[in-house]
Amino acid sequence: MKEAPRDALRTSSSVDELERAVADLLDELRASKADPERIDRFLKLAAAVTSTEEVLRLKAEAERERAEYQLLQEVSLRLSSAAEIRDVLRAILESLGQVVKYDAAGIFVFNKDLGIIEVDMLSGYQGAQRNRVYSKFQEGVKHGEGIVATVVFSGKPLYVPDVRKDTRYVEVRPTSLSELAVPIFVRDELIGAFNLEADVVDAFSERDLRTLMTFASHAGVALERARADRERQHTRRIEEELSLARRIHTGFLPKSMPAFAPYDMGGMNFPSSEVGGDYYDFIRITDDDLGIIMSDVAGHGVAAALLMANFRACIRIESRAHYAIKTILERVNEFLVETNPPDSFVTAIYGVLNRRHNILTYSNAGHNPPLLIRSGQQITLLENGGPILGFLPDATYAEGVVNLEPDDVLVFYTDGVTEARDEAGTEYGMERLADAANRYRALPANEMARRISHDVYAFQAPDLTMDDLTLSIVKYDPSAEN
Amino acid sequence: MKLKTSEQNGIYLVGLSGKIMGGPESVQFHDAVKHAIASNHKRVVIDLGEVEWMNSSGIGLLVSAYTTLKNAGTEMKLARTTDKIQSLLVITKLNSVFDSHDSVENAIKSFG
Repeated sequence: MKEAPRDALRTSSSVDELERAVADLLDELRASKADPERIDRFLKLAAAVTSTEEVLRLKAEAERERAEYQLLQEVSLRLSSAAEIRDVLRAILESLGQVVKYDAAGIFVFNKDLGIIEVDMLSGYQGAQRNRVYSKFQEGVKHGEGIVATVVFSGKPLYVPDVRKDTRYVEVRPTSLSELAVPIFVRDELIGAFNLEADVVDAFSERDLRTLMTFASHAGVALERARADRERQHTRRIEEELSLARRIHTGFLPKSMPAFAPYDMGGMNFPSSEVGGDYYDFIRITDDDLGIIMSDVAGHGVAAALLMANFRACIRIESRAHYAIKTILERVNEFLVETNPPDSFVTAIYGVLNRRHNILTYSNAGHNPPLLIRSGQQITLLENGGPILGFLPDATYAEGVVNLEPDDVLVFYTDGVTEARDEAGTEYGMERLADAANRYRALPANEMARRISHDVYAFQAPDLTMDDLTLSIVKYDPSAEN
Repeated sequence: MKLKTSEQNGIYLVGLSGKIMGGPESVQFHDAVKHAIASNHKRVVIDLGEVEWMNSSGIGLLVSAYTTLKNAGTEMKLARTTDKIQSLLVITKLNSVFDSHDSVENAIKSFG
């Protein structure tokens, strides 16, 4: 910002004149020869100079305000067009440099707990100095570590006219002599600080402080917008991932039920709003042997879908390569222990139904026990087996064998069925499941699965987060035909 | 889920309460487990007495804590497992893997 040339000339001539008059007057006073008329003239001149300077100062200030306003307009424009937060912050630093003189500046943005630095934008710090700033804030901002930290913790601006006299100051640039820092707020939340350093003592004025505050509030707006953008993008990406995972998941479930007379099969899967990791399947092993799988991957989302895909591939391969069910589960377990993240696991039941001898051989790896419902309502739980898959490296699995009789019904399910809760928090539970299965046992297997699922939905409180709901039914139906 | 940690006779206690269903809030539990290891505790008791509800993701938390602690040579015991948790441990057949006790005192004593 420059003064008009004429004004500048007038100021300098007045000031020169005043200086000369002061020097003369001092000489005269020392010699006790001061002429009252001269003193009077001197005072008038001083008053004139002061008022001229006052006018000039006001003019300069108005000029600066206008320039600042223009710059802010420019910054605002850039804010709305710049996609990258770093571009916006860079623009803010550049524009600020046109109204406030500084030798180094930094904008620091921290996360909510001030534990991680999210963004920074530096200007005027050289290579090694930049590194020092980075290493200082890498793990967030800490109490008592410099002027910026003081501002972040107090939420108040701080001006240090001479850094050598302030114990809170931490040196980064050896040439810096004064520092000014202000907090950055997004709405009412403090998210970081904006600081300026200068290589002269007392470089910043009250006016500079106000300007810096204005720019800091603009930086806050820009950061808020960038955060919202980032969140929107993040949400979109998650939605895309979820829909992909959902497609993978549904692609893995059986499209139709196998024909395996005298058995009638039915299955249902209602995925929750998130992608779950329930998986059930029927695998034809020989003409008389049908593999039955019901499984649940702990967790939701893409990770669960991937783990489910892993499990599915593994058990399909192993079930064809080995006859012994315990060996199949031990191999699957071994594989999952090696490949799984530690907090995820799979619960599963794997069984082989032989239709020549009407025998189901199974092993239950930590899964909710399937129900064998015999006519006359006697219920057997298929519990034999071993622990969840993917947790213990040398887990072993026992086998269970059941002889099936005509009209027997097998109900396989995941915990989404029995852990569905009503408003009072009561779980649907195994008894309700058995009752429902008994109620609908005359219906075809697929219809049974559908009716039971509806029963669970009707029980479940609508506002409770829903797990996947998966159910499969195997009925020994002598009248069933291929 | 809420979490409280304390120390008793050199044993690191982690008290859980509320609903334990995995998700983002499990981070604080993992942090507590890491802290137990970093501070060189060889014995950890997870107190589950105040847990209102837990599902299989909650079991996932215990499973991962067990593995992490075991790999660091730290022993983990459960105290005051509720009926619901006990039934989950039975279904998942982890009741023989996790050593559970009816009180924190008994869990502490069981370290011998």
